[in-house]
Amino acid sequence: MKVITAYCNLSADECLLNGDVVARRDAGSEDSWFKQIYRQQGLGYPKFYKMDGLSQAGYLASELIKKASPGISNTYTDDEIALVFANASSSAETDRRFMQTYEAGGSPSPSLFVYTLPNIVLGEIAIANKWYGENMFAVLPKFAPGFYLDYGQILLGSGSRALLCGWLEVTANTTDVFLFLVEERESGTEFNTENLLHLSQATSVATF
Amino acid sequence: MIYIGAEVIVSPLGDNAEANWQALSENRSGIALAQGVGFNGEDIHLAKITGLRGPLRFQQLVIKALSALSRQIDASILSSGKTIVLISSTKGALDDNLHDQFSETCASVMHQFNLAHLPMVISNACISGVLTLNVAGNMVEAGQYDHVVVIGCDVASDFVLYGFQSLFAVSGQPCAPFDAARNGITLGEGCGAALISSTKSVFQNAPLELLTGASANDANHISGPSRTGEGLVRSVSRTMQKHGIGNEEIDFICAHGTGTVFNDEMEAIAFDRIALSDKPLNSLKGYFGHTLGAAGVIETAVCMQMVRNSMLIKSAGYRNAGTSRPLNIILENEPKRLRTILKTASGFGGGNASLMIRDL
Repeated sequence: MKVITAYCNLSADECLLNGDVVARRDAGSEDSWFKQIYRQQGLGYPKFYKMDGLSQAGYLASELIKKASPGISNTYTDDEIALVFANASSSAETDRRFMQTYEAGGSPSPSLFVYTLPNIVLGEIAIANKWYGENMFAVLPKFAPGFYLDYGQILLGSGSRALLCGWLEVTANTTDVFLFLVEERESGTEFNTENLLHLSQATSVATF
Repeated sequence: MIYIGAEVIVSPLGDNAEANWQALSENRSGIALAQGVGFNGEDIHLAKITGLRGPLRFQQLVIKALSALSRQIDASILSSGKTIVLISSTKGALDDNLHDQFSETCASVMHQFNLAHLPMVISNACISGVLTLNVAGNMVEAGQYDHVVVIGCDVASDFVLYGFQSLFAVSGQPCAPFDAARNGITLGEGCGAALISSTKSVFQNAPLELLTGASANDANHISGPSRTGEGLVRSVSRTMQKHGIGNEEIDFICAHGTGTVFNDEMEAIAFDRIALSDKPLNSLKGYFGHTLGAAGVIETAVCMQMVRNSMLIKSAGYRNAGTSRPLNIILENEPKRLRTILKTASGFGGGNASLMIRDL
């Protein structure tokens, strides 16, 4: 059966791995919340500092999931893990920041422009792991369990053996991140709507 | 079998597939010099739709394309619970609402066409269109939906133009994919649409077969093409293997061909690695510019017209070989019976996607 083998929730002040708190925001720190997690987890990937918030969140949550499931890079070949991500506001936060660079009398920033697409986070995760598998980013009104279940079923039936799925809503006012790993197992937390609703902590959902 | 048909193209070359085909068959390009539109007031070549102005340009185009599509099918399927609309786009209605680039268009389309489901948006940079056609085919094949309408749409904006200018990626001349003197992209705007269905009888004109393909990431760089073409090689190889199609069966390749030095070089390397370099190949960017999330749908619609009209269309802007590995670029339009076509796309985020279209 298809089982959720690891998951990570990241909110504005807490980071949880498989339901356990692994980091709490230090409001007094000069570092951003995502940098606090990066340092606290002892990650060594300098590209992190160049990423926008969406990519930082996706990178951090995927690294935490790998800590909870350390075998995944050996269990699967480099194109068997599919990435299936979605959010509601695309890359709007970085879009706004890029627009500011040229509307405020300055020049458009190329280093911000390259992050003005929501699927860039998939590229960052693929690069960090040398994963050549399937990628998909959808923009949905709300977290939608049916989207992951339906498209996951398609991917797992056509060559992918594991799914790293994510809901990644990161804006100026919101940090609502939920990543989860789906694998084939004899038993465990079944990959179904009920479990996705429970583990995501979503307060409202969209149907697809 | 998965059918694809009822293709629509809305571009500077016309409001339907037939008008666009007429222009392509005469090798007319939609690219023109726009005065003073660059970040520093430069004149820039763009493929803009004359008459598409004001607010809600994205929504206008999507509705125009879906209206045109609905006239070519059994329109009663649009409101079926087993039908969904997928919208492929990178920046949507950014100029209308930066913070929510898709919701209003999706809600309006659902209301206006009495759809049973809210349209779903797929946004994967420049592979969005090809990826979305594959998603549509997979949804039908898996029985999740009986009919899937794919609409690829992006509109020209200062945002995207200034961004590509900041990367020094905008061509000084109309883009020249695969040419030795190519030096960047020409941005375009447009909308493509097609219906993917398990039921042949819902199409007014005979559909073609969609052979869905795989996507693969380069795992190399977020904004620079792979030096080895690894992701494109993997995508095309898996797409052909999936359907048991050998190289000898491919009649034509509709490449991505943006006109940047590195993208076109990457594609030449990839096609060389999988021994497809000798296949007749073009890029359609010299006619439509780069329409981003619409490109894969518009270009697949053109492929369908090429099959229907038994004609290879020349690669606009190409004069002299400009890649380290040779390609068989189409130099002049040529009547040719086409059975199996390979369409590819590559883009920011390291994405690569491919699909095949086959005549029935």
